[in-house]
Amino acid sequence: MRRVAITGIGLVTPLGHSTDEVFQSACAGRSAIHPLDIVDSHRLRAPLAATVQFDAAAAHFDPPQHRLLDRVTQFAVVAARRAIDHSCGALSNIDRDRIGVFLGTGMAGTTSMDDGYRTLYGEQSDRIKPTLILQGMHNAPASWIGIDNGLTGPNLTYSTACSSSSVAIGEAWLRVASGVIDLAVAGGAEAPLALGSLKAWEAMHTLANIDALDPGMSCKPFSKNRSGMVLGEGAAIVLLEPMDTAVSRSAKILGEVIGYGLTTDSSHIARPSAAGQAAAMRAALASAGIGADAIDSINAHGTGTLANDVAETAAIKSVFQSRAHLIPISATKAIHGHLLGAAGALEFVLALLAMQERVALPTMHLEQSDSACDLDYVANVARPGASGNVMLTNSFAFGGTNAVLALRSDRH
Amino acid sequence: MTTTARIIAMLVKDFKVDPVQLTPEARLEDIGIDSIGVAELLFNIEDEFGLKLPDVPLDLATFGDVVLYVDGQIVAQQLSSAPSEIGSEFRPIA
Repeated sequence: MRRVAITGIGLVTPLGHSTDEVFQSACAGRSAIHPLDIVDSHRLRAPLAATVQFDAAAAHFDPPQHRLLDRVTQFAVVAARRAIDHSCGALSNIDRDRIGVFLGTGMAGTTSMDDGYRTLYGEQSDRIKPTLILQGMHNAPASWIGIDNGLTGPNLTYSTACSSSSVAIGEAWLRVASGVIDLAVAGGAEAPLALGSLKAWEAMHTLANIDALDPGMSCKPFSKNRSGMVLGEGAAIVLLEPMDTAVSRSAKILGEVIGYGLTTDSSHIARPSAAGQAAAMRAALASAGIGADAIDSINAHGTGTLANDVAETAAIKSVFQSRAHLIPISATKAIHGHLLGAAGALEFVLALLAMQERVALPTMHLEQSDSACDLDYVANVARPGASGNVMLTNSFAFGGTNAVLALRSDRH
Repeated sequence: MTTTARIIAMLVKDFKVDPVQLTPEARLEDIGIDSIGVAELLFNIEDEFGLKLPDVPLDLATFGDVVLYVDGQIVAQQLSSAPSEIGSEFRPIA
């Protein structure tokens, strides 16, 4: 197996568009969650979201192309362009059929589909746009990244709900490490803020109540008074290339993927399983060839739902035993919201940036201690010097797909 | 404005086609209008001309084919919506 370097990052997120901007916001705990203003948002019990400031015209989509692109695809294409630019030439001198695209998305073109259903059922009209299938299909974001860059290798879309983009990065890592391909554009994209989607999440009783004092503080991972998650949108894409290639072209190496664990609960469609989550962490450690004592810090899945945070805490204790209380654990969804199929990729990037800057990122809005969530969550204030050099980043999903990535900083 | 001029305006606005290319013989594929583009163009034509076009596969290869087809549909739908003179004496009196 070849070592695999991360040599490019591209972001389109509620926290900002550059790695500096996103890291500074995460470090300072500035929440991007705010009251949501969309058509019919008054029909939502708690209209909240973390949205992206995004101008499609400024993103250089000309009208003939733009008409085919759902918001999720626009995010994905722009994030991929940024990652490729950031890599300073990773695509040069590589056959395009040796470059793969691996993208996670949970709900893909749900905004376009929602528009179509509004026409069909709301307006009782049969005038569905001829482009709707192409906008709404799950593989559109990955396909457009391929088209935008002429990439003719494998082009795969993973849809395992909230672990989708961690799966995408993990599967890309396996292929680059094994030599099947020589470069991967990998990550996730999500744009789920359509009324139909929001109402469906609301109906599951998974969404947070609005914090009465500050809506931006509504998501409270690991806090006793947590009430659920807040949906977010955006995309995060990384470039993965063989370490040898990256070194030989003098690329800036941002970090290294060293392991990937993937397990499935196969028990309940929605209830998280601490055993399944722990198994995924152990699988990631085994894949990296390291023991639990090698992990310096963790980026938690940390959704802020009652069930997840208890299960994840139990899973971390199961894997790390007495050391569990000593490991800094960061849950950044408190400020960027839950990006569903893009969450794993964004948190992977945040973990990477945290290690680069040697800071354990804060878990914001942790106001009340919970006896079932009693680990070190880096409550409310960033902790300089605490990230260490080796991290796990957890992504768990409805459907029971648990994906954990192990990464090492470039300072190792 | 003629049918031709109205469709040219739509192609320029929605598909960024250079109007100089829009001769009757211009093949749609050659000016960047693929099969999805044709479907979308017809969808927009329904709005622009107030037509209801049949949902059937069409073989429209050139710009001229589109103009002829739309003109034909305009005439057909004007005829079908006009009150019929023939046979009116046989209509039952309500």
